[in-house]
Amino acid sequence: MNWGGGGRKLMPDNSAMKQQKLPAHQLHFSARVVLTIFFATGVFCFCMGVILILSAQSIQEIEVCPILLYLFFWYWGLNPGGDVYMYYKLYGFYQNHYRYVLSRSNNQLVGKDIMVRDVEDCAPFKVSQNKTPIAPCGAIANSMFNDTIILSYTLKSSVHIQVPMLKTELTWWTDKYVKFQNPSLINLSDRFVGTEKPPYWQAPIYELDTSDPGNNGFLNDDFIVWMRTAAFPTFKKLYRRLYRVQYFMDGLPAGNYSFNISYNFPVTRIKGEKSVVLSTLTWSGGSSLFLGLAYTVTGAFLWLASFALMAIHMTMKKKKLSYRR
Amino acid sequence: MGANDVSMIKAAHIGVGISGQEGMQAMLNSDFAFSQFCYLQRLLLVHGRWSYNRMCKFLSYFFYKNFVFTLVHFWYAFFNGFSAQAVYDTWFITCYNLIYTSLPVLGLSLFEQDVNETWSLHFPELYIPGQHNLYFNKKEFVKCLIHGIYSSFVLFFVPMGTIYNSERSDGKDISDIQTFCLIVQTSLIWMVTVQIALKTTYWTMISHFFIWGSLGFYFCILFFLYSDGLCLMFPSIFQFLGVARNTMNQSQIWLSLILSVILCVIPAFGYQFLQPLVWPVNVDKVFDRINHCKTRPPQVRVRTKLKHPSLRRSAYAFSHKQGFGALITSGKTTKTKPNKKNSFPVKK
Repeated sequence: MNWGGGGRKLMPDNSAMKQQKLPAHQLHFSARVVLTIFFATGVFCFCMGVILILSAQSIQEIEVCPILLYLFFWYWGLNPGGDVYMYYKLYGFYQNHYRYVLSRSNNQLVGKDIMVRDVEDCAPFKVSQNKTPIAPCGAIANSMFNDTIILSYTLKSSVHIQVPMLKTELTWWTDKYVKFQNPSLINLSDRFVGTEKPPYWQAPIYELDTSDPGNNGFLNDDFIVWMRTAAFPTFKKLYRRLYRVQYFMDGLPAGNYSFNISYNFPVTRIKGEKSVVLSTLTWSGGSSLFLGLAYTVTGAFLWLASFALMAIHMTMKKKKLSYRR
Repeated sequence: MGANDVSMIKAAHIGVGISGQEGMQAMLNSDFAFSQFCYLQRLLLVHGRWSYNRMCKFLSYFFYKNFVFTLVHFWYAFFNGFSAQAVYDTWFITCYNLIYTSLPVLGLSLFEQDVNETWSLHFPELYIPGQHNLYFNKKEFVKCLIHGIYSSFVLFFVPMGTIYNSERSDGKDISDIQTFCLIVQTSLIWMVTVQIALKTTYWTMISHFFIWGSLGFYFCILFFLYSDGLCLMFPSIFQFLGVARNTMNQSQIWLSLILSVILCVIPAFGYQFLQPLVWPVNVDKVFDRINHCKTRPPQVRVRTKLKHPSLRRSAYAFSHKQGFGALITSGKTTKTKPNKKNSFPVKK
């Protein structure tokens, strides 16, 4: 029995794809290429590391732990020129806990669904005891940081002036103008009728900053900064920026400073700590030396590895040649 | 072959049928069918070998990329109170295996060739790793696991170290969980892309399209999923509004990404270079000879098919039962041929 004409249909096409004959480049790394890659990467990493370390060292940072002290005096010996940022730093506060991260209502925060009708994630901070919805709902909003930190500068022996600080532009632009929106621009308190403030708050959401409607309600900068949950249990969040006027045109001058802190946020209950950080900045971000050190170590290691590999390669090549003879 | 061989073909791991005078049943029941016995050489030495190679590369890469993907959560557990908070955006978890990394690995398993067919036929010794299960066994799996654990360690701790006590260059927040998710995701995609780029030795246009296209596609989908429009339409489903834009313009993020990729890929790359030098197996020596021959002008004489009717033996039947194979291939069952008289007339 022969195939006949029907058998031809069973054969695959004679195309390059089906016959595994596609035009291609066979990649093979020769010894020279591998060693060059190691060497060049090593040099790049080392240089990058040195640049990053130098940049991080140029930052001036001071951390003050005012535990149970309402007033704290210290002498700022350094003179950080330029912009100074004030942060509050928390230790041992797990904003990255699974249930905590879920506990918010983005619908409510964008101004769409103030009454929080269909989100269960906010529980147990969804409705108050008398069944009125909470605005803003959820555990993240409820646990908002509520200390007030005032920095004062000792101008003369008994003259203390408050260092002027800005409380706006602390957040990402997209957070302030897109992600968080008030239900209305005027008469905010009317729009929140029928809701209650979260249990741990002293004032309702529409009274967070009555002097500035652009910083009130859901648009309050401190609120937005807090709602951007941190990735690790130790974190710092931007609290205020230096307002460079009068004596503080070039940053904070050297001298005596003091903090006046209203201690509201209860960290001892959660076995955590808090502190205040004043810091300048650079193009590579904060004062963390990690990236610089990691790059330097990697660079040095790769560089040494390239020499080691070259030595091994030469030894093996000699051995091979001697075997061939 | 005949109908009585069908059960043998069905029972074998791979049944090969040769179509011929004795009917179509054997051919229809086989995994592979062709018309002449000599094509078996190509089936084994070229396609079978390539298939084994591709399968092993596919498996080790697939396990590796999923180990890295998952084990990052193990490291994060120590920092989130063991609450099983994910290190990735939920949409990334959905799309990772399905969209971002499926095409490159498909390209690898369809088109990969370590040596081309001419060399495969010329050096049958290259078939030995398949027979001895050298390319994917328990040892290779453990190597894959260790590489995955190490990569997940780098993938977690480098971004963590970068953003831990850090801010953006304008003082605003960078150490939030959404930024961390974005950095880890992007580093992961880059890392597995570079890894498959190193594993692929046979680069067709399709490989380039699949690999670099998947990477570009990841960025497109990223910006789409984190865009204002989509996030405002469904705020509770798409929660990462603005994260991509605010994070990607920070140099420390890109530096962290580059460092993660370098730290993950370089050890594998170095091992790939060192292993044939210091611990060569027989196959490495063959590859060495092939590379040596490639650099010389081609003098390869491919064996041409010589058809001497007098040398053709009767058809073999390889039984699947143990014991008879050795007997048949020993040659004792074939008739010894009498010495042929010289057929060429000798001029006297």
